[in-house]
Parts: sequence; C-alpha cells; structure tokens
Amino acid sequence: MKKALLLLLVLSLGLSAVFASGGTETKKEAKLIAAMATDVGGLGDGSFNDGSYAGLQKAEADGIAEARVVESKQMTDYVPNLTGLAEDGANVVFAVGFLMADAIIEAAQNNPETKYAGIDIWVDPTTAPSNVLGISFNEHEAGYLAGIVAGYMTKEYASKSDRLNGDNVIGVVLGMDIPPCERYEVGFTAGARSVNPNVKVLQAVAGDFADQAKGKELTLAMIQQGADIVFQVAGLTGMGVIAAAQEEGTLAIGVDVDQYAAAPEAVLTSAMKGITEATYQTIQSVADGSFKGATNVSLGIKENAVGIAPYHNFDSIIPQAVKDAVNKAVADIKSGKITVPATRAEL
Amino acid sequence: MEFVIELLSATMRLATPIALAAMGAAVCERSGIVNIAMEGLMLIGAFFAAAVALATGSPWLGLLGGIIFGGLFSLLHAWSTVTLHINHTVSGAIINILAAGLTRFFMVEFYGHPGSSDMVQKTLGDINCAVPLLSKIPLLGPVLFDQSPTVYFMYFFVFFTTFLLNRTKLGLHIRAAGEHPMALETLGISVRKIRYIGVLYSGLLCGFAGSFLAIEYGRFFTEGMTGGRGFIALAANVSGGWTAVGSFVAALFFGFIDALQLKLQVMGIFKIPPEFFHMLPYAATVIAVAGLVRRSRPPADSGNDFSIEKEM
Amino acid sequence: MDKFLSGLKVAAGIGGVVLWAASQFWGILLVLLALGIQMYQNFSRMDREDAVKKLKDLGMSAFYPAVGILAAILIGGLIMAFTGYDPIRAYGALFYGGLVKNWHISLLNATPLIFTGLSIAVAFKAGLFNIGAEGQYYVGSMIATWLAIRFSLPVGLYIPVIFLLAGLSAAAYNIIPTLLKIRTGAHEVVTTMMFAHIATKYSTIFVRNNGGDPATSKHAYVTDAIGESNWLLPLKSIIPGANYRVHIGVLLALTVAVFIWYLLYKTRIGYEIRAVGANKTAAKTQGINSGRTIMTAMLIAGFLCGISGTTQVLGLEHKMYENLNAGYGWNGISVALLAGNDPIGVIFAAILWGILDAGGQYMARTTQTPSAVVEIIKGIILFLILAKYLYFWFGHKLFKGRRKAARGEAA
Repeated sequence: MKKALLLLLVLSLGLSAVFASGGTETKKEAKLIAAMATDVGGLGDGSFNDGSYAGLQKAEADGIAEARVVESKQMTDYVPNLTGLAEDGANVVFAVGFLMADAIIEAAQNNPETKYAGIDIWVDPTTAPSNVLGISFNEHEAGYLAGIVAGYMTKEYASKSDRLNGDNVIGVVLGMDIPPCERYEVGFTAGARSVNPNVKVLQAVAGDFADQAKGKELTLAMIQQGADIVFQVAGLTGMGVIAAAQEEGTLAIGVDVDQYAAAPEAVLTSAMKGITEATYQTIQSVADGSFKGATNVSLGIKENAVGIAPYHNFDSIIPQAVKDAVNKAVADIKSGKITVPATRAEL
Repeated sequence: MEFVIELLSATMRLATPIALAAMGAAVCERSGIVNIAMEGLMLIGAFFAAAVALATGSPWLGLLGGIIFGGLFSLLHAWSTVTLHINHTVSGAIINILAAGLTRFFMVEFYGHPGSSDMVQKTLGDINCAVPLLSKIPLLGPVLFDQSPTVYFMYFFVFFTTFLLNRTKLGLHIRAAGEHPMALETLGISVRKIRYIGVLYSGLLCGFAGSFLAIEYGRFFTEGMTGGRGFIALAANVSGGWTAVGSFVAALFFGFIDALQLKLQVMGIFKIPPEFFHMLPYAATVIAVAGLVRRSRPPADSGNDFSIEKEM
Repeated sequence: MDKFLSGLKVAAGIGGVVLWAASQFWGILLVLLALGIQMYQNFSRMDREDAVKKLKDLGMSAFYPAVGILAAILIGGLIMAFTGYDPIRAYGALFYGGLVKNWHISLLNATPLIFTGLSIAVAFKAGLFNIGAEGQYYVGSMIATWLAIRFSLPVGLYIPVIFLLAGLSAAAYNIIPTLLKIRTGAHEVVTTMMFAHIATKYSTIFVRNNGGDPATSKHAYVTDAIGESNWLLPLKSIIPGANYRVHIGVLLALTVAVFIWYLLYKTRIGYEIRAVGANKTAAKTQGINSGRTIMTAMLIAGFLCGISGTTQVLGLEHKMYENLNAGYGWNGISVALLAGNDPIGVIFAAILWGILDAGGQYMARTTQTPSAVVEIIKGIILFLILAKYLYFWFGHKLFKGRRKAARGEAA
C-alpha cells in the first residue's frame, strides 16, 4: 500500500506538470475586485458569512466590483486564502469571523497594496498595518430593541394575540456561548427589563449552530416554563426555535437578518445587524479612495447598522405605544442617553 | 407531574432518530459490515425527505423519499465494502464526506443557497397520532402514545428487527454472515447478498431517522443537522450488545440524559457553564457502559473483508 | 559499488526530506531516488525469477491507484463540466495549488494528521479502534497551551517538557477507557468517542478561562498567546528558502513515524502489540499479557495525539482557538486506514490528504468552484484510490461473456 501511495504521488506530480499551465493566476486590471474568505463555518450560516457575501453580490450587481469568495476548511487555510485572494488581484479582501484575527494581520503585511477588512474582528490600532480595518457590530443594541418589544408584549399587551400568554416569561436560545451571541442576549435582557422590570428571561445554550432538534427541544422546554416569546441567537439551530414557536402557537424573534419569511405567523420581528450594508460600504470606500485602515469601527444604532426588522404580520397587533418606545430607545441610544450593556458582567 | 411527562416525552423524541439508526446498525453489523456511514446516510435521508415534502406538499411522500434515498445511498457503502473490498471504516468515512458535499451541492442547485431550506408547511409532526385509549393512561399514556408517527414506527421496528434477527431464516443467515461467513457460503448462500441486505436495512432506517429530523421533529433541512447522531447511534448499538432491544434501550438512555440536560439548562437552577450540561449525555453514557454492560461480544467476523478467493 | 549506492541512498534520502520539508516539493524526487536504490539493492540480492515476480506485484499494486485517480479525475471532470465549470482549469489548479504553489500548506495540513494517523494505526495494530483520537488531540492542545502560556525558558529549553507533559496527559486521558475495556469489556468505540466529546466540549470552557481578558482583548474566544520562546523553530531558520510558516514539527512528525515503525516491527513491545492484535488467544499461549499490551498501545496512541495537538499549538497557532473544527483526530482515522496502518504509509497518506485539502482550497479560490464540488471530488478521488477491486469487478463484468464463449468453443 505504501508503495502504491508513493507511486500515486509521483503520478500526481506528473499531472501537476501537465496541468500547471491551467493553474496560473490571471490578473484582471479593469475593475475593482472584492473578495472574501469565510471562516470554517462556510456560506449558509445565515449570519456573518452569508451577510458579507450578500454585500459582495450587491456590489457586483451595482457594477462596483467583481465578487469572489472562498470557503476555508481549516485553520491552516486562512493565511493562504487571504494572501492568495490578494495575489489573484483582489483590491479589497474581507476576512469573515474572529478566528481570522491573526491571519488578517499576516496577510495584510504580505500584501500592503491590498485593503483588508475583518468582519467581527478587532485589530490592535497601535500595531496593525495601515491597510487593515476591523469591523464589529453592537449586537447588544439590536437585542435591546427586540427586548423592548418582547418585554411589553409578553405581559402588558399579552391579550393582543392568542399566541401570547399571561406569564411574564420570555427566553433566549444561544448557539454557543461566544461574545456575539452573548451581546445579543445581554442587550435583549436589558431591553426587556427596561420596560418590564419583573420579567423572567430564560436562557439556554444549544452547543451547536446546526442542530435544529436541540433548538426545538430547548424552546419547548421554555414554553413549558411559561415563555411565549423566544429569541433565537443560534444560526441554523435557531430554525428549530422558529419551528417550535410555529407548532406550539407561540412567538419567536429572528436574528441577524429579517427571518419573517421562515414562518410569517410566528416571527414577531428580528434583531438585525447590517453586515451586508457594512460590507457594501467598505467596498464603496475602497472604490472612491476613502478607505481608512489601522483602525476599528464598531457599528451600532448610531450608524444605522443594527436595528429590528419590520413587524410584517404583527404591524397591526403591536400597539403604537410599543413602537414609540422602540423609536425612543433608538433616539436615546443615538444621543448617548442610554448605554446598552454588552457583557453579562455589565448587566 | 407535568414536568416528568414533558421530560419523558422529550426523551422519546430525542431517542427516536438514534434508536432507528442504532437498530439498523445492529442488523448491519450482525451481517458483518461496520457502518460508520450512518451520519451521512441520515443527512441524505433528511435532505431528500425535505426536498420531496417541499416539492409535493405531502410529508408522507417526503418520508418515503427520505427512506428510499437513504437506502439507495447505503448501497454505495455495500458496494464498496462487499464488492470492492474497501475497508469498512474508510468507506464509511468517505461516504460521510460525500454526503456532506452532496447535500450542500443539492442545496445550491435546488434552492440557490447553502444553509437551510424553505419551511415545510405540513410536516408529519403536525399529524395528531394520539392512540385513543392508551394515551389516557396516566404518565405513560402521554409519553408513549401521544407522539408523532415515526415514534410508533420506531416501536414497530424494535419488534420487527428482533423478530427478523432471531425468528426468521433471513435473520439466521444475517447472523451467520457476521459470525461464520465461510460456513454460510458452503451452504450455498451468498454472503455478499446477505451483507448487501444488512447494509440496505440500515440505510433504510437511517433514511427514516433523517426524515424524522427534517420533516417531523424539525420543519427545515439544515446542513449538518444530524449533529453527530449517526455516531451516537453506533455507540448505542455497541452498548446495546448488537441487538435491537439493546440499541433501543441505549438510545432511550442517551435521549433521557440529553432531555434532562436541556430541561435543567432552561430551568437555570445550576449556575455552571453550559458546556458542562452538554457533556452530561456523553459522561453518563460512559458510566452506563462501564457499570451496566457486561462483556458484550461483537459479531466475530464484523469488519472483516470477505472474499471467497481469499478464504480458499 | 554497493557501498557507493548505499551512501548515495542515505544522502538522497536525508537531502530529499530536508528539501521537501523546506517547501521544495521536488525534494520528493530525491526521496524516490533513495527508495529506488533500496529497491534495486533488494532486487539484486534476489534471483531473477523472484525479482520479476516481485516487480510484477509492485506494478500491479501501483496500477490500481493510478487507474483510480484517473477515473476519479474523469468522473469529477464530468461533474464539473456538467455544472458549468472548466474541469481542465480546475484540475490544473488542484494539483498546481496542492503540489507547487501551496505545497507548504499541504505539509502543514499533513503534520498533525501524521501524528493522529500513527496513533490510530498503533491502536489498530493492537486490535483496538481509537475513534476518540480527536479528544486526545484536544487534551494535548489544552495542556500544551496551558503550560506554554504560564512559563517559558530561554531558547526553547522548555519545549521538550511541554511535549512530554502534554503527551502524557493525553495518554492518561486514555487510561479510563482502556481500563474499562480490559476490566468490563466496554467497547472502546463507545468510551473513547464519548471521552472525545467531553474533551471538545470542555475546550470551550478552557479557552474562555485562559485568555480573552475583555479589558485587553475583544476576542474572548481565543486564549492568550504563548511566549515566543515556546514557539517551535521555523524551518526557515535551518533551511533558508523554506516557507516562513512551516516549522520543525514536520521533521518531528517524520521522525516519529520512523520511530513508530521501528517500535512496531523491531522491538519486543511492538511484537506483543501486533501479536495481541492478530490473535489474543495465540498471544496468550506465548505468555503475552494482553491487558498490559492493550494498555501500552492505547497509551502510545494517546501520547501521539497529544503531541499532535502540541505541535499544532507551539508550531503554527501559538494560541488555542475555540471551536477549532479541524477534525484532525477524525481525519486521522481515514489516513491510518488509507495507509493500511503502516507507519511509513501514514506519512504518504497524510500528505495526500494534505495535498487534496490545500489544492482543493486553491482550486476553490482561483476557479471559484463551490466548495461542495471540491468536497465531492475529494471524496471520489479517495474512494477510487481505495477501490482496487473495482477493476477486477469491471474486468469480470466486461470479459465474462468473452471468456464463456471461449470456454464454449474449447468444449
């Protein structure tokens, strides 16, 4: 067997010589090329990766840039992907996911001509090269707005929909206990308590971002405890949260993007972050030369980068008082009157 | 009381896919083929169940589609292990890679994006299957007899698989194929054919389990939704001593601990990192295997390649 | 003449390995030369008939993987052509990326796989399936990170201690499953897999507790970086021209593979391990204590996984990430079996795996082929390499009719 494998290697060497001509990198000069490398989660995560890719596609549709994407399979792929995309001619490269925090610095040092932007990555402004930008989101601010809606609806306006009950209980299902999820959860809790101090917020972690069954079972357990609105911060696991709400006649709150379409009768609203918009604007800033690196931007309500989705079917059910409270919170956060906590320690 | 009922109902739901796959594994391994491809087979079953249910609007057709495609895909494992003599574990690992790649590929081809499919409007879970009188029995009634259809199918398969293995001629042949294949061959019965049947049986049950996850337990197909259940089923089969009843009991135990950790988390009584809850089912399985399972012997020829040329 | 050849063999072997590890992929040609000389020497000692027979066997054993990879290329190409991608360009990128352009990534991918593959191979030799290699890998990573964050000594003096302790901890992680196996017969597939899940879940807690001070870092899901004196030496510092990311862990892996081969085939322990794996009853009649041997094998297996994690942490990542998701333990199973559990074969199987991974990424990037297609093609390539009976089978189906006809005529 080992000799066979050896010969195989030789054979592939020969093939590589034959095909090497086909593998040469071509450089296109004409248009801006915007590229992204996903983390090991890959496309289809319904969150960072999908959102960034949507931004690239939007830029392509608008004729600003050509979009390229590569899905990393393991940690060792990050540096060659980020470096290689630049070598293939990309003008701006997005590294999506905190796991690439080191890789993006390394790649940016290798390719000083290319702009790098890290989504959910914080770069050290004192040491980072000038072509790297760190972009993070204030998920807690979006969670806060969703919390206000949930806090009001579960108790004060519980009679407005037969999907709500009299118990003053709501819930959050997390995919894993990591900072972006924690920020959503903490903001949500703070928002709910701001309008309904006695509300009980149940919390549970599924331990997986792709296990629908776990999400559903956790939601069922919460519903049994009296929860009527469950906020999912769990990626694809969260589809189980929505499914449980649909079946049990309760409500769910979506995350990252407007998840109304998944279950129109059961999704109250969604806490959104504008990954797509942020990606798009970064590409624009590279196109018009206003890109500024070696810094971090933290996008929140002030930048109109996070918020909650339209209420769709629930527009007529949610009272004006709730909508006003949400609008007031938006104004207060913008003016700095409210600072939303971001970690459990601050809550 | 209500808590106990809910806990045990959740146990049944969580145990069902594991039990189905584990019983399939019992037959498969008794016939002499190690099947670590179950994770991939379940994923394929889940995808086609959701795809067919979405296309036709009928969850029953979806279930059928999931079972059929799970079975078809398992034939690849049978072909590669029995006919092509590839090592069973390697073949299984490759099939898992292929299944993950294929479902992702189909997602993009069918729905234009990876990740999760559209919502299945009408699922098997929506069908009320409370058994008229039995579901009124206190405690056990709602737990055992107020479930969705596949749970009842699972009960059926516990009996059917046991019957098949122990009371039928085919079962005798299956067991012989795993213990003394050469003896079986000398009787003029094709070991290859029997092993194909064993793998197919496990493929059909994995397709069943996958369909349950996609269009009964859940309402969507999501990539990687099997979440390691194929491997847990393998463990359940082994700790169940390669029998259908044993697999079922082991799956129930695993489902119970999983349900318990989920409930405990939501109740928020213990202020410990959530990961400790996630470890609980695995730790409990080790303890159960250590304390309860006496020396169980795998089928003598399981995992071994069988070729007449070599044996002669 | 013979002496000269032996000298050339050793020189080419060592030089080839060094060059090869230094990202000069053609270094493998020298290694092949060395192996060729070895083979020539073997053949020249045999008489003619034996040599021809041996050569024929060798040709046959090489024939199947060769046909396999060609068939895989054909099928994969059809899939790509069918889905609208240029197969020639894609394949060019796959091999160019994996073997030339990103050869160093192939090596980096292969390094941990060599260790985990060896681990599984050793366990297999003793008749055990160490399916929980992933867990031992995590334990090794965690202990290595923990030790390396806390202390350091100048010029890497501390590194051997880290390797030893991390390896031993991972070995110790195997004690309970192995004891259960010996005492109660609890199947190691169940116990080691459960232990693996426990370790991976625990790693999340570990990472959170060992870094990411929110005051200084925004990334609480990464441990603190380890001290620079605890980093493994980059190969560049001994071989100029090597890629800066490749570290001496590659050479360590190759050395360990050779050592394991020696251990298995040239020592008493290795003999006992193989005897127990082959037939427990027969081993007992020879006075081998199978329980003790099984324990030895599992401890070695755990140790190998532990140093796999250590190499990765000290050599490449310099910290530990939450949700690593690399699956080196799981993939090690396929690597070991691909190599037929032969320690030297593990090297080649791991490198093949690494090439497919690195080349697949390069192909996905340069040709914008979706990763799903790359995964499918990878699966098909592996499948067809292994399916040596496929050609018998096809041959059988194709020629059965003709042979029957011929037999009929003869009758």
